[in-house]
Amino acid sequence: MRVTLLIAWREYLENVKTKGFWIGVLLVPIVFFMIFHISTRLATATPTRYYLLIDQTGQYADSVETAIRREHQRRVMQDFMRYLQENRSDTANLAISNEPANQMDQLLDDFGNDEVAALDDWLSNGGLAFALQMARPYLRPDTPDFEEPRQQFIAAVPPPELDITAPAETIVETLRPFLKGEKRLQVGDNNVSLFALILIPAEVNNDIVRPMAAMGGLPADSGTRGVQYWAGNLTDTRLSNAIQTSINNAIRQQEYIDRNIDVNAVRDVQRTRLPVSRMDPGKVAGDEQVSVADTFRQWAPMGFVYLIFISLMQSVQYLLSNTIEEKSNRIIEVLLASVTPGELMMGKLLGIGATGITTILAWLASFFAFIQLYQTIETTMIVQILDVLLGSDLIPYFVFYYLCCYTLYAGIFLAIGSLCNTLKEAQSLMMPLMMVMMVPILTMSFIAQDPNGTMARVMSWIPLFTPFTMMNRAAAQPPMIDVVGTTVLLVVTTITVLWLSGRVFRQGILRTGQPPRIIELWRMLRRRST
Amino acid sequence: MSSTVLSLSNVSKRYGDFTAVNRINLSIPKGSVYGFLGPNGAGKTTTIRMILDIIRPDEGEIEVLGCKSAMQVRDRIGYLPEEKGLYKKMKVWAIISYFATLKGIHRKDAKLRAFELLEQYGLKDFANSTVESLSKGMGQKVQVLSSIAHNPELVILDEPFSGLDPVNQEVLEQLIRDLKNNGQTVIFSTHIMQHAERLCERLLLITQGSKVFDGTVDEARAIIPRRVILECQNDVMALADLEGVLSVSETFVGGEGRIPGTRQWELYVKEHTNPQLILQHCFQNGISLSRFDFTQTSLHDVFVHLVGQEAREHNFR
Ligand SMILES: Nc1ncnc2c1ncn2[C@@H]1O[C@H](COP(=O)(O)OP(=O)(O)OP(=O)(O)O)[C@@H](O)[C@H]1O
Ligand SMILES: [Mg+2]
Repeated sequence: MRVTLLIAWREYLENVKTKGFWIGVLLVPIVFFMIFHISTRLATATPTRYYLLIDQTGQYADSVETAIRREHQRRVMQDFMRYLQENRSDTANLAISNEPANQMDQLLDDFGNDEVAALDDWLSNGGLAFALQMARPYLRPDTPDFEEPRQQFIAAVPPPELDITAPAETIVETLRPFLKGEKRLQVGDNNVSLFALILIPAEVNNDIVRPMAAMGGLPADSGTRGVQYWAGNLTDTRLSNAIQTSINNAIRQQEYIDRNIDVNAVRDVQRTRLPVSRMDPGKVAGDEQVSVADTFRQWAPMGFVYLIFISLMQSVQYLLSNTIEEKSNRIIEVLLASVTPGELMMGKLLGIGATGITTILAWLASFFAFIQLYQTIETTMIVQILDVLLGSDLIPYFVFYYLCCYTLYAGIFLAIGSLCNTLKEAQSLMMPLMMVMMVPILTMSFIAQDPNGTMARVMSWIPLFTPFTMMNRAAAQPPMIDVVGTTVLLVVTTITVLWLSGRVFRQGILRTGQPPRIIELWRMLRRRST
Repeated sequence: MSSTVLSLSNVSKRYGDFTAVNRINLSIPKGSVYGFLGPNGAGKTTTIRMILDIIRPDEGEIEVLGCKSAMQVRDRIGYLPEEKGLYKKMKVWAIISYFATLKGIHRKDAKLRAFELLEQYGLKDFANSTVESLSKGMGQKVQVLSSIAHNPELVILDEPFSGLDPVNQEVLEQLIRDLKNNGQTVIFSTHIMQHAERLCERLLLITQGSKVFDGTVDEARAIIPRRVILECQNDVMALADLEGVLSVSETFVGGEGRIPGTRQWELYVKEHTNPQLILQHCFQNGISLSRFDFTQTSLHDVFVHLVGQEAREHNFR
């Protein structure tokens, strides 16, 4: 045992002292942070888009503009909610728990439950100005001013040469160079590019489709009909969606009036709703509501599967290269005069295992450091999520499956390492195993979506996949038989593999020359000693 | 009390149909320096590996320091393998100390001992360099030191001299003498007969897996008769009739600077023959000698005598 620990310690130091180790340790969080940073930046960095609305009917321009204003207000409200969560002072909240404070909580609550309704309240209550005024006493004294988000869509002025009463085709032809980015529009003092043209032709009302009329079949001509939305960018559909909804709303509004239906009654009917709460059957009564954190918990196992996989990949590297170094440098013989092959193998297993754990801890440490540095809404959410994680049983699952997975695969890779004299030889031997290891990663998202489905259950019972699959299913309360059965199978397999690997290792470690063929390997597994 | 440190009885090792070691019997007394000699492929390394329980013999018994397996007494054995290698990234002192701790020495003592050895054998300046920055020979010295750092009772060195310059060969010889003076038993294999001659009390000579000689250096020398080389202008066949002379023959060796007409003769004499008799005889018969060479039989000659023919055949098989 003493000797095993000595070997493990040397192995550990040697790995941890290399530059490559620390590069690996730092690279993963750096890449993670960069993705995080860039994606949050990108979300707020969409440029302001200029659109041109030409409404030859004069009926719809207002609705479209209202819709766009409403979309902007929605973003203002979202940002304000974040601002509120970040900056509210909890002490004030405790001291004066009177009406407005409750109102604020209500607002936050509503916002979480039903954004549409909250937006209506927001607008009818006077929007940002009122909300700011209401919230002011409950913000921390050092709270910065609220910054209203930029307008994302701004109406542009048509170029002077455009006759907006001309036929639709002429207008499109005139504006085509602008839409293609060949010409730029003048807005205030700026030259801007035109993002979209919304063209509502004069006789657009002829194109309204009514269910009764549609019975007779669609009109034969397949030319452009209805409202025309012209844009070079087809991926950003926010504007076209807003326009479609708002124009259709306006048309329906008109339809109600034409048919003598009480508009207000319709609106009330449309606003009538029954909230749908998503519940988790596995939780105690009164606590069934699925929160953001719960949704996260559902997906967290996948993160852990990744963590196991990445860490395993790193360990594999060390397991192979360190064993092969000892073989090719012929250190092995001195070692074997001092320690048994079994001790050597266990020492390596422990030392490299400790290296892997160090890596994971280093990742976690940099993760927390990152949270300390970036105090934004996303990170506060991460902190909450971490609280959830620490309170759940995912961590013990992770620790168990990580250790089993590592031991199982380390046994196999050490055996492979002992048979090879160069990394190149090892690569061809480990190829099949690498493919096997890719399976749980490739199937990971399917299993997360259907954690107790047939595929998940079948893969859980294959020991090489058990740690990955069961980790993935951990949050979904898999049946007891699966948890206990696969655990027993996994532990038994791990021990058997270690024992067989020990045999191969003992014989392989002194081999020189080519790696053995399958038949020789078989003989090695069966033979007791050399 | 001179007890036995190591004994082999009827030890054999086969690789498939090929017998690498064939029924070797051996017994090594405590405190001796023992040489393993033999041509390439004779089975020396295989024997040593079996002694250390790195590989198992197919038959026969090995007893090391009173135990059936070297593994049980591994802390009392030091080993330098034939193919030398060290961890490239480790510091010199750390590697000596690491191997000593593996042998049960406490970490602190091991470090002290490492520096002490490095100083004693002239590697003090390299204590903090990494192994990869050493030359092959220096690395080998470091490895020798790491195999004796824990003061083992039995030290087994497989070809310790190969790759060392003459000065370092002397340092190593001194090291082996130091070990002996310290009461430690040393076994080493070598192809350089002079080292064996200077250091060993006893020798084992094996060829093709079988023991051909086991005994003291003097006993080895006694195997072949002593030789006298003469050079003169005359025919000296008549010397064969002299008391103690076994045979006389003319050797035909060419060479630069040889006086024309000079002939070279080789005489084999009995072990305790007095060479004065031969000189006297020549003098009385008016044979004027240009060379008279009466040397001790070298181990080299014994080696060639015992295994030369076989080794040559073996090499070309
Ligand atoms: N693993 C092995 N498989 C097959 N044959 C082997 C193996 N190891 C050694 N041999 C054979 O056993 C014989 C003895 O080898 P060994 O290494 O003991 O020789 P040696 O006396 O140490 O030679 P050298 O002076 O060259 O070191 C050789 O003929 C070698 O080919
Ligand atoms: Mg050898």
